[in-house]
Amino acid sequence: MIDIEFHLNGEPVRLRCPADRRLLDILREDFGLTAAKPGCAIGRCGACMIWLDDAPANACLLLALRIHGRSVRTYEAVCRDPASQPVRDALAEGGGLQCGYCTPGMVMTLAHLHQLPEPPDAPAARELASANLCRCTGYGGIRRAIERLFEPAEGSAATPIRPCGDPA
Amino acid sequence: MKDARPPLSHAQLVARMRPRPDAAERLAGAPYLTDRQHPEQLFGAILGSPHPHARILSLDLSAARALPGVHCVIAADDVPGCKAFGLRHVDRPVFCAERVRCIGDPIAAVAAETPEQARAALAAIRVEYQPLPLIDDPQAALAPDAIALHGDSNLLHRETHRHGNLAAAIAASQHIVEGEFLTPRQMPTYLETEGGIAEPDGQGGLTLYFGAQNPIGQRQTLAAILALPEERVRVVNGPLGGSYGGKDELTIQPIAALLALHSGRPVRLRLSREESVDLGVKRHPMRIRMKSGCDAGGRLLFRQVEILADTGAYATHGPEILDAAVEHASGPYRYQALSIEARLAYTNNGIAGAFRGFGAVQVQFALERQMDELAALAGLAPDEFRARNLSDLNDRGPLGQVVAPFDGPRLALEQIRQHPLWQGPRRWQDGRWLHGVGMALVQRSDGFSKAGPNGAGLEVALAADGCIEVRTSFTEMGQNLLDVIRILGARHLGCDEARIRPRIGDSASGVDSGPSAASRCTTVLNQLLQRLAPAWRARLQALVGDDGLEPGADGLLDLQGQLRLDYAELAATLEADQLPVERCAFAGEVTPSDNPIAHFVFGACAAVAHVRVDRWTGQVQVLRLSNAGALGPVVSPLGYLGQLEGGLLMGQGMATLEELPMREGRYLARNLDGYFVPTLLDAPQIEVIAIEEVPEGDEIGPRGVGEIGVNIGAPAVANAIAEALQMPVRQLPVSAERVLDHLERQP
Repeated sequence: MIDIEFHLNGEPVRLRCPADRRLLDILREDFGLTAAKPGCAIGRCGACMIWLDDAPANACLLLALRIHGRSVRTYEAVCRDPASQPVRDALAEGGGLQCGYCTPGMVMTLAHLHQLPEPPDAPAARELASANLCRCTGYGGIRRAIERLFEPAEGSAATPIRPCGDPA
Repeated sequence: MKDARPPLSHAQLVARMRPRPDAAERLAGAPYLTDRQHPEQLFGAILGSPHPHARILSLDLSAARALPGVHCVIAADDVPGCKAFGLRHVDRPVFCAERVRCIGDPIAAVAAETPEQARAALAAIRVEYQPLPLIDDPQAALAPDAIALHGDSNLLHRETHRHGNLAAAIAASQHIVEGEFLTPRQMPTYLETEGGIAEPDGQGGLTLYFGAQNPIGQRQTLAAILALPEERVRVVNGPLGGSYGGKDELTIQPIAALLALHSGRPVRLRLSREESVDLGVKRHPMRIRMKSGCDAGGRLLFRQVEILADTGAYATHGPEILDAAVEHASGPYRYQALSIEARLAYTNNGIAGAFRGFGAVQVQFALERQMDELAALAGLAPDEFRARNLSDLNDRGPLGQVVAPFDGPRLALEQIRQHPLWQGPRRWQDGRWLHGVGMALVQRSDGFSKAGPNGAGLEVALAADGCIEVRTSFTEMGQNLLDVIRILGARHLGCDEARIRPRIGDSASGVDSGPSAASRCTTVLNQLLQRLAPAWRARLQALVGDDGLEPGADGLLDLQGQLRLDYAELAATLEADQLPVERCAFAGEVTPSDNPIAHFVFGACAAVAHVRVDRWTGQVQVLRLSNAGALGPVVSPLGYLGQLEGGLLMGQGMATLEELPMREGRYLARNLDGYFVPTLLDAPQIEVIAIEEVPEGDEIGPRGVGEIGVNIGAPAVANAIAEALQMPVRQLPVSAERVLDHLERQP
């Protein structure tokens, strides 16, 4: 067992737990913060994404001893922050969520990218968000959200789908 | 009248979308059923078999029961009611007592105060096994001397369909193609693994909060297992993190319920991803021998199909899935002769079951490959060959049954034939990349076959606050059921959408709408609300004693359209037990033909795919996937678009990526580092076109869109890959290894 102290959503917290307890379990079971989801528990699906010192990280891969002295922000705080509103709106309006299970993790990634001083362009954002799996949407709505939130690739205007059902 | 409005383009669908009704709640991080906690909770854990096939010689729970924190340790002897479950075949034990038939087959379970204590208790359970001969191949399973996994034979189900003179049609054929097609064990890969909490009510009953698709059906089965009256069991099925058919059948709910009843405490039970891979259902791998022929003019004469499917250890939906394969093996085409023979074998290869695309997608891959192969032999373009052989509007269905008239296949094919992507070049090389453009056409059934369960119930009630509750046991799985209920409720009941309050996914409503499966919810809700509307109107008129008033947006309107009585005011005049409730039951649209496996309603899609294949790495990349769906009027643009986009990518995954390898009855991958699903980088630019036109006199309205994206996505991508590589694609997925093998064999 170790004693750790860290900041959780801006508040200092202390915990005594095994050194190898996963942050995902600490959040979900010890603090009742369940927005981070256990999808694979091996860092492949992104459903448990949190911000560790303001950078996205999979909570399933972080052990208690690694978070001592660090700052952890979870979706519960980020979804109440007006700064993430454009990302949440873009997903809701673009059809970027269906069952919604991947959504907190997806927002954590996209909101981080969107709030960077120099945000990536849309193709780069797609690449950076590809560690967040979604099994429902076919990523159609997520692509629409990304196109709304991030600039098109420099020098190459986005090629719209040529509609074939349009009367025009 | 024939509804001949022009198709909706992708851009028009996008422009008409609005956020899901549950978007705000989901985006606020609202909990799922596996997130539920209870102050008194215990943690459950299941001891699964380490052998895919073995006899259980002895089981000793005593050491586990003595461990600290352990509240109960249970096994087959502790099941008070039915010891097994299943749909048509009750063959799946809650706990195995004598024999295990697949890896992870449950033997015992524990409930303890912490997950660590639960795991320690599992480790203290003593089981002696005697391994039995392994049956890991469906062909070997059907050998006369094979050890039977159930009863006296491993042949779980057999279905055939024949018409015409096959020998004569073969003799008359100018061109014949023949091949064996193999389809993969695809995994639903819902991001939320199976789990939830079982909470005793303190009076001998309990509530199960587990994500699933059919609360009333599950309540019935659970009550039988628990030996409780049904009213003592409540089943809540949502919200859930994905299902795609995989959570339609019970898995671990009986065990959670038994742990809760034995311990008297709420029990959380959740499978890890590894346990979910072991115990969850997969798509049936099929071995499909297909032979087809046409005359010199490119007219299809026959198709001969032999299907052998691997259902794994237990039946679940296997027989219906095999029936669907038979019904979809011939497609929307005409033949002089058809011969389809399908067999379903028990093996020790995990458990195959319901999964979006349901038995049809496997044969549609083979069928649409051979349509391209035959077209090439006949010297016709793939679209022209298909167009020449389409069934007519008033033709019988694929099994010779009477079907609802529908020319969706023709409408969808026409859209895709004129699509710019199809009109452009079909094959070219660009440095290391080989490009190909391919197309496919499928029809698929809607709802269940004549054997059912086609019945569905619905309840509409005026609530005390003036809202109109629409109660159904259907479950929201992401398909946008909630908005479909609002849209259809308002359309048929005359009120504003904001007045509609959906009540879903809970057996406590007492309303049995049947399973949220087979792409049926939207179609069935439309039928139910349409039937219920006149009674609702009459009921409201009777309540105010004025049949000159009509239900309107916010209340009852007079002949001039003026609001006379708000719904809330009407509710305020009534005692709680006087509030109007109208119920409606619908037997379902079934074919009048006497064939239990035949469907009455079909939808159709055609699609064109553009892929490029890297000659150096063998990697297949899908660049564009454009689909035209002839699925009747669009109810929810967001739901329609989202279901097709999601289905198409899942079909693409089956064609390019997804295969769960097994060896000797064990999964060689047990998590997402060995089983890959498409990522944002794999997703092509997907286009969805909605053809809303239906024939004159159509009474069905909207067809289901939940599954058909998978059905069309896999063959369209497979055909594009075959075009790019000039490769006889006979096995899915077309992995990089298979591409490189093919390229190495080229001169």
